[in-house]
Amino acid sequence: MKRRNSALSRVFTALVFVFLYAPIFLLIIFSFNAGNSNIVWSGFSLNWYRELLHNRLILRSVYTTLLVSLLATAIATFAGTFAAIGFYSLRRRQRNLLNTVNNIPMMNADIVTGVAMCLFFVAFFGLWSDFANWFNGVQHFIELPSRLTLGFGTLLIAHVAFNIPYVILSVGPKLRQMDKNLVDAAQDLGCTWMQAFWKVILPEIKPGIVSGALTAFTMSVDDFIISYFTAGSSSSTLAMTIYGMTKKRVTPEINAVSTLLFVTVLLLLVITNLREARLERMGADAPRRSRTAERIATVFSTPKGRWIQRGGAGVLAAGFLTAIILLTGATNSHPVVNVCSWGEYIDEELITQFEEETGIAVNYQTAESNEALYSLLKSGAGDYDVIVPSDYMISQLIEEDMLEKLDYGNIPNFSLISERFRNLPYDPQNEYTVPYAWGTVGIIYNTTMVDEPITSWDAMFDSRYQGEVLMFRNSRDAMATALLKLGYSLNTTDEAELREAFQLLQDAKSRGVYQSFVMDEIFQKLEGANAAVGAYYAGDYISMLENNEDLALVIPEEGSNWFMDAMCVLKDAPHKEEAEVWMNFIASTEANLANMDFIGYASPNEEALAQYPAYYEELYGEPLDPEIYEIMAVPQEILDKCEAYLVLPAETRKLYNDLWTELGI
Amino acid sequence: MKSKLSRFAVPYVIWMALFVVAPIVLVVIYAFTTAEGSFTLENFASMGTYGVVFYRSFKLALIATLICLLIGYPVSYCMSKEGPRFQRAAMVLIMLPMWINFLLRTYSWMSILENNGLLNQLFQKIGIISLYNGIFGTDYRFFPMMNTQGAVVLGMVYNYLPFMILPIYSVIIKLDNSLIEAARDLGANAFQVFRRVILPLSLPGVLSGITMVFVPSVSTFAISKMLGGGTEMILGDLIEQQFLGGAYNPQLGAAISLVMMVIVVVCMVVMNRFGEGEEQAVML
Repeated sequence: MKRRNSALSRVFTALVFVFLYAPIFLLIIFSFNAGNSNIVWSGFSLNWYRELLHNRLILRSVYTTLLVSLLATAIATFAGTFAAIGFYSLRRRQRNLLNTVNNIPMMNADIVTGVAMCLFFVAFFGLWSDFANWFNGVQHFIELPSRLTLGFGTLLIAHVAFNIPYVILSVGPKLRQMDKNLVDAAQDLGCTWMQAFWKVILPEIKPGIVSGALTAFTMSVDDFIISYFTAGSSSSTLAMTIYGMTKKRVTPEINAVSTLLFVTVLLLLVITNLREARLERMGADAPRRSRTAERIATVFSTPKGRWIQRGGAGVLAAGFLTAIILLTGATNSHPVVNVCSWGEYIDEELITQFEEETGIAVNYQTAESNEALYSLLKSGAGDYDVIVPSDYMISQLIEEDMLEKLDYGNIPNFSLISERFRNLPYDPQNEYTVPYAWGTVGIIYNTTMVDEPITSWDAMFDSRYQGEVLMFRNSRDAMATALLKLGYSLNTTDEAELREAFQLLQDAKSRGVYQSFVMDEIFQKLEGANAAVGAYYAGDYISMLENNEDLALVIPEEGSNWFMDAMCVLKDAPHKEEAEVWMNFIASTEANLANMDFIGYASPNEEALAQYPAYYEELYGEPLDPEIYEIMAVPQEILDKCEAYLVLPAETRKLYNDLWTELGI
Repeated sequence: MKSKLSRFAVPYVIWMALFVVAPIVLVVIYAFTTAEGSFTLENFASMGTYGVVFYRSFKLALIATLICLLIGYPVSYCMSKEGPRFQRAAMVLIMLPMWINFLLRTYSWMSILENNGLLNQLFQKIGIISLYNGIFGTDYRFFPMMNTQGAVVLGMVYNYLPFMILPIYSVIIKLDNSLIEAARDLGANAFQVFRRVILPLSLPGVLSGITMVFVPSVSTFAISKMLGGGTEMILGDLIEQQFLGGAYNPQLGAAISLVMMVIVVVCMVVMNRFGEGEEQAVML
């Protein structure tokens, strides 16, 4: 049998390994890049490793990942081993049935498991809150937390749930391979069955347990989809952080952290494998039977075994569940505020500064679009305190009674907000919102990749730019580009007009005009000259310009959309006070200046808006280009040509959803 | 003895009832209700609209699975013929990439495949693009590789290839050598030994590999989003969009999830027909 491989098949195997490792080596190489690109090499540097030490977001998510993976592996290995022994001792019929159920989480698509878990947790939280309210009502000794949220606890349960099957699957065969007489022999020699377990079974199935634990841990670390649906707003794993980043630019700190993880695991595996190989060479496996026999002979009682013997496993499981419930509840009592905003939409220094000044920890997450944010809120997966939706979405949330009225006494900095940005149509009495930033939508294009300057929305549907156009990946903004071209109102509810606009998009898509539908991926695509034309928010153009000077922005002649994003607090938010402290902090002139400089959107704070050019000059030692300032703080005469989104009636929203899904397929 | 040990199964049975069965029951309930909570079949009726997505998902996932099989089987076979030290190292090398999150690995492919990415830059430098343009009279600045179905398939193959190699390898390595020797003694040549003995005996590994590649491929959403640019939506994207994406409709999402589950059950049934061997095969 041991006929050697031909050179050809060896080359083939080697090529497959090259295929597997090429992207990884690329990641590792670019973690040492001096620049922040994953394509252009600009010299060797350890800069990103230094930066990594200061990146709270990444470090925290690495911590969460490792903690959840280690805990889940430990729990799953323990529970899975016992479950496997239990299964093994069942009658065949029952065992087959249970094995089938056990296989479900492993065989099911991750997304289905994730979705099912998410639905289950949210439904459970609903029941629990009824129960806790009733319980707190009838007695006053113990105060149960009435509001549970997705968080570390649910993340852990989900990971344990998908890890156990791997452990069972790896321990099961070892149990079946075991010589059954060994157990009988042990008992004949006076072992209790518990002792027989510790002294005989466990050593026999140890390799299965170890490989099960390893698989479980690997699966936990690699998992993204299930975590995505069960982690909620207060914890993110590394995978979730990375997913957030892949939507725009992956900072090379992520390359650095992956390199470190990779090297650690590589070393660990090399060491254990070398050890095993050495043991194998020494023939340590040969006297195995005698060692097991020896174990049977030197039987003595183990205090370890006793409590499990007394049905302790059941108690343990109950205790574990209680601990998790308390843990999810307990996370609510820390001074913390959960914020959900948009990508590249805050100067992260501000978060650190806020945490240092107030001692309130900030969980900062981002949503992709207003529509995605709405889904997150509705499905219960996003349990935030502060959100920063845009105007029309704010109206919708108010309409559905999802926002809390603010106590403006706690937000003195609200007085700095310009008069013209108060009492806007989305919040006419200004009871719910503190404006965050505003801007317009424009077309950004690469001047070297088009023949003539773009002036009209026609460009978004023009076959000349086939395969070069980036379209919004959210229904409202995408439809707006078509409505603008057609000269219709952005707030039209006329079905014929909307269908005409949809037809325009559909037609352009089928002609291959769109290279892709994007949100924040547009940064990387336009900066890297991977696409020529894209519609996006004007403020982001300024960030892109810093990385690619060939880009130009136009507010097309037909007019455009202008928008206001404002901070709101969700109904019954557990940290309303902290939320108001946060909003007050962000509304300050200093924070607005820092933000304006970082994100390129205009500030609603009149002082900050006026002071920005001076601030810029002081910071960079050169005056601000007035053209740039005009793009940020769009002058009123251009704003007059732009229309704000209003909330649409429910049936129009349904039409948008349906058309959007249809366009996607 | 045995009956006493069987009580160990009880906590886990309760656990499964709670965290495996109950969530699935919930999905089923959602799939058959309207947003107001009354019974409906509309979620399934409206699925006809998404026929294109179903077709595309199956097509891409099947192609990816086939490629994985065509690459994975020979690799497993070659690995099993090498010395134990090589095998050990190879196993480590196959497991290791999973330690760099798949999103990052996929992102890395983006920088390779982009219009202005590493491959296209390389092609430009060594003149392949101008050569191609010269021969075919085309006017390419680059080869469009990103945002195509091919890129999505590549992402699937890249990410799920280990799931094909591992089960096949673990079955081949356990093959009884005497069977092969017997076949050879009886006059079979190398090809016949492979076709008549090794291939049939490794079938359980192949089947579990196919399932382990096909299921995640058909249901991924991150890979198609990143490499397909949102123009090549597959089932995973559709489900994600209904729950956490831009078109909130959990009932429809649950209905599609249910269909996915049925697909998985069908796969499992097919696999179970090939007997007990599968259980070891699924394991690494």
